[in-house]
Amino acid sequence: MPLFEGLGSGGEKTAVVIDLGAAYTKCGFAGETGPRFIIPSEIQKPGQQQSIKVVQYNINTEELYSNLKEFIHTLYFRHLLVNPRDRRVLIIESILCPSHFRETLTKVFFKQFEVPSVLFAPSHLMSIMSLGINSGLVMDCGYTETLVLPVYECIPILSAWEALPLGGKAIHKELDGLLVEQCTVDSDSSTGQSLPTVIGSIPEEVVEDIKVRTCFVSDLKRGLKIQEAKFNLEGTAERPTPPPDVDYPLDGEKILHIKGTIRDSVMEMLFEQDNEEKSVATLVLDTLVKCPIDTRKALSENLVIIGGTAMLPGFLHRLLAEIRLLVDKPKYRDALATKSFRLHSPPAKPNCTAWLGGAIFGALQDILGSRSVSRDYYNQTGRIPDWCCLSSPLPESVYDAGKTPPPLMKRAFSTEK
Amino acid sequence: ITIIRDSHAHSCISTWLNAASVCCLENMPSAEAKLKKNRCANCFDCPCCMHTLSTRATNIPAPLPDDPSKTAMKKAYYLACGFCRWTSRDVGMADKSVASGGWQEPDNPHTQRINKLIEYYQQLAQREKLERDRKKLARRRPYMPLAFSEKYGLGTRLQRQRPGAPITSLAGLSLKEGEDQKEINIEPAQALDEVEPLPEDYYTRPINLPEVTSLRQRLLQPDFQPAGASQLHPKHKHLLIKRSLRCRKCEHNLSKPEFNPTSINISSECQVLLTLTNPVESITHVTLVGCEEGDPEDINSTAKVMVPTKELVLAGKDAAADYDELAEPQDFQDDPDVVAFRKSNKIGFFIKVVPQREEDGDVTVSFKIRHDFRNLAAPIRPSEEDDAPTEAIWLTHHVELSLGPLVA
Repeated sequence: MPLFEGLGSGGEKTAVVIDLGAAYTKCGFAGETGPRFIIPSEIQKPGQQQSIKVVQYNINTEELYSNLKEFIHTLYFRHLLVNPRDRRVLIIESILCPSHFRETLTKVFFKQFEVPSVLFAPSHLMSIMSLGINSGLVMDCGYTETLVLPVYECIPILSAWEALPLGGKAIHKELDGLLVEQCTVDSDSSTGQSLPTVIGSIPEEVVEDIKVRTCFVSDLKRGLKIQEAKFNLEGTAERPTPPPDVDYPLDGEKILHIKGTIRDSVMEMLFEQDNEEKSVATLVLDTLVKCPIDTRKALSENLVIIGGTAMLPGFLHRLLAEIRLLVDKPKYRDALATKSFRLHSPPAKPNCTAWLGGAIFGALQDILGSRSVSRDYYNQTGRIPDWCCLSSPLPESVYDAGKTPPPLMKRAFSTEK
Repeated sequence: ITIIRDSHAHSCISTWLNAASVCCLENMPSAEAKLKKNRCANCFDCPCCMHTLSTRATNIPAPLPDDPSKTAMKKAYYLACGFCRWTSRDVGMADKSVASGGWQEPDNPHTQRINKLIEYYQQLAQREKLERDRKKLARRRPYMPLAFSEKYGLGTRLQRQRPGAPITSLAGLSLKEGEDQKEINIEPAQALDEVEPLPEDYYTRPINLPEVTSLRQRLLQPDFQPAGASQLHPKHKHLLIKRSLRCRKCEHNLSKPEFNPTSINISSECQVLLTLTNPVESITHVTLVGCEEGDPEDINSTAKVMVPTKELVLAGKDAAADYDELAEPQDFQDDPDVVAFRKSNKIGFFIKVVPQREEDGDVTVSFKIRHDFRNLAAPIRPSEEDDAPTEAIWLTHHVELSLGPLVA
């Protein structure tokens, strides 16, 4: 029997909520407590072993369109198991997402899958909704970058954003380098071989698994000592005792001996401040400095940390300690009067918090309906409104029917009526 | 002669989705699937290696209900993976006394809070809706400040929510000053001063790698994402979708995938409209014939085709036809079951296609087309008679048509 249920069953069907991250996509339905699936944002082309990342900003439109089409297809028909034409779509996005990517994604949804409507919701804003508060300083530690955006009374303070390319991608690169440089591999025929001689390069999936299972973030005292020992050229600073080594099984009965020193030191790159004295902790303070003075206390006492990278063991504790240490340094001591920092614990894991906010928002059917871009509007105008673009015409539903069509944004001194 | 394929015949396919369980081959109606979140009620996935778990039984001694001093053997069931040796006892799940239906997936501890949040925002949303409706009905006062008037475009951000403008999407959803706080209430989340540090022995204790879950294993349980393998609970097996295709025009089921190999139905036929155009100026007669068995030219067809048995007649190309309104239409006495339309030198006719296989590739049909041809070019040797009618010769061509994929 057809899947098309009658509308009498209590209104519209629940909307689909998708958080399309650079590394992982969280997808599910509005009103639920967590995403149904967290899957890698990749597609597999038949015949090719290497999977293709879906979120790429530098490829041409055709290729991007085709990748997105295939990916969204698996989302609907392998995971969510619903008909795309029946449900509104809420997409959680980063405010720094390039317009070209956004527009291509919209086109895939409307033209290929004919969804009824689409709404792009900023991840930082949605995270606030998962807490029932109106203001918060949200830091998203993701794969490509760490992005901080403050939200005050439900409005993002766009001018105060701060970002650094310190995320999962950078960690994997650093970890890979350390493993190749320092670790040995035992295979069934030999022992103690260097990595490149045995298996060539390590797939990123494996590096990620090593990161998740064996690495952690030391606390402030220990971390500073590790950094000191690393940068100390005379060799006088002594490094804290490293944690035990780990024997990590690779494919084909090979064993990778991961040195303990790597396990606690690779994460220091998030806090090292070697480039222009910036770290993920300084991002928070730099953002605060940019915010209006009367908002700062509300923001500093409502820190919200989201994103997969924030789930590393010891990360949150270290972050808070770093912030408190830095706020007393000369650079910030006089600029910021607020010294109290408090951290929220949203009712979801950090990698799903933005998704959860979207699921809560998406459950408000009227609001979602009135603020979404409908397929009709898209077909008429051919574009999706963007926060950075003022020239999108307003859809007619905002105005009463029967009156003359609304004027587009006019200059203040125009004499036209 | 050119043949044009009408693509409309294929976009008329409607699809509907049914869920089916691969493990126990149970077909689930869509309403039930929705309720169970597209998961099978009976079967579980191994949280370690994702294979389907099997239910095993053991006999354990248990006291008799009537006489506690005596014991009898009772059956106890547990889940086990035949592939990686994981069992439900590894994560502390107690054995059950029934073979199926006893195991529950753990609940998300935050469910209550999240539902409260949704209720709260729904109340705010209702309030916003009421206000919006009230504003529509209220009369516009003439002395409204300039800033709010139409003349300057958007008015204040808080007043007009632009659909699609994500920045203001939440602007209305907060209690404004002075509003009645009594009805709508939610305890805002409390931020904490301190975060739990890592335990002291974290830096010194050796890792038991098999006890630490991999990222993939964690992500299979989005609500919990446990780091320890002893907290990995099995989830119900996910269903697969069956996409059934039905032609809108003839209402026949084109393809209905089945996971159960004992109940496969071959798909039924569909009509395809072909257009034939006559490039010469004289009347042409066309006969279509299906390919014989073992025809050496018929190599690619993936479907059976039934072509019209009657001869088709095409009018000659008449360059003036568009402009000559007084021309009498020629009467060809077309059979409406065969000929869909006729327009000057074009004719549209039906063939019946029966796809033979449920393939991913294109549906391809082959047949032979036989027509007469008169060479109207001037003969090399001038004939003695003027206007001698040229002889018609009959030509046969092999035609192969790719009709596109079965999927809509």
